[in-house]
Amino acid sequence: MTPPDPIDQLGERLFQAARREPLPSGAMERALLAARAELSAPRSTPAVLPWPTRWTLFAAAAALAAGTALFVRHQEPIDRISAEPASTRLHSHNAQAPSASAIALTAAPDPAPSVKTAPVFSVPAPAHSAQASLSDELGALKRASAALNAGDTSGALSALDQYDHVLKGTKMRAEATLLRIETLARAGQAGAASQLAQRFVAQNPESPLVDRARSFVQQ
Amino acid sequence: MSGPESKVLPASIAQDSARELSIDSLVADYYGFVWRVLRGFGLTATDAEDATQQVFMIAARKLEAIDPQRARSFVYGAALRVANNARRGLRRRREVPDDDANSRLEPEERGPEALTEVGQARTLLADILEQLSEKHRRVLVLAEIEQLEVPEIATLEGVPVGTAASRLRVAREQFRVLLEAARDRNPFVEEP
Repeated sequence: MTPPDPIDQLGERLFQAARREPLPSGAMERALLAARAELSAPRSTPAVLPWPTRWTLFAAAAALAAGTALFVRHQEPIDRISAEPASTRLHSHNAQAPSASAIALTAAPDPAPSVKTAPVFSVPAPAHSAQASLSDELGALKRASAALNAGDTSGALSALDQYDHVLKGTKMRAEATLLRIETLARAGQAGAASQLAQRFVAQNPESPLVDRARSFVQQ
Repeated sequence: MSGPESKVLPASIAQDSARELSIDSLVADYYGFVWRVLRGFGLTATDAEDATQQVFMIAARKLEAIDPQRARSFVYGAALRVANNARRGLRRRREVPDDDANSRLEPEERGPEALTEVGQARTLLADILEQLSEKHRRVLVLAEIEQLEVPEIATLEGVPVGTAASRLRVAREQFRVLLEAARDRNPFVEEP
């Protein structure tokens, strides 16, 4: 019987190493989020948005807000950020639309360094709220997300209260609830976050956000 | 179903063929395939992740046009295009020194991962595959890493079975020659 060729054996071991190379952690989930976002991106925006579209819009808004907040904090001293009107800051920088990878990564944002200031974006609420536009709703959630990423949980809750009670938002309701759950958890109110998360899971079993909400439910 | 690809159609895609293909099943069934193929084409793990994400974003945009029974062909074709773009970008980056130049460093300079036995094997394989022509590298990756049969490779490459077989034979011969030449760098060579 012919002994196995050592070169063939070595080659096989190299290919085996390639076959067994583990996928990067979380890479598939990030790709799935990006693909889902892409899937819904070119569609028109109906009055009640389908889940993928709502998720995409929220993820894009959150990424935009987080990116802008980081940029502003990087560029300017904190006291100047607090003193300057938010609307000026928002328009004074050309914040670019987030990339797909930014959208994917924003789905589970890393906690930003704690900055004790007033909400980073303190845009006044619209005078009337009978029919808040999608833009208004997105704006409130962007402010909440930016505040949360800045470690300002009370600012985030304030923006979410505005979404709920002033705007009476409906189009991004689930995203707002998930953001409130995250904010409560970050604020140390794990019990309240868990209760809200349980309710969210029960009421939105088909939502793509349900897994994330479930992660806040205490056993 | 017919054709080489359908013989190995993942269960979720097979179910999808009876209805609309879903992006979730596409990602679940082919993420690993695309990522490994892109690694085999010479992308670093980080670049391969980015490129794989791009592939599935392309697939999402064209989802309605994808035949569920040819889903793997679609993602493979997209992976080839994305890999070519990524490699062009990599070549441009190589003209300018940067900090993310792991792939062109000597093995001992590539960080802790590359110092492991598997890391060294991966690096050596990448170096050898890099020396093959693209068409030979592709068939070898499909045959040896993805362990596909020649008819399946022919389908993915869009060539006759005889052509795929011929390319694979040449690729294996060239790989063997290059491996012999690189033997002294092989981490699995036992000391005499």
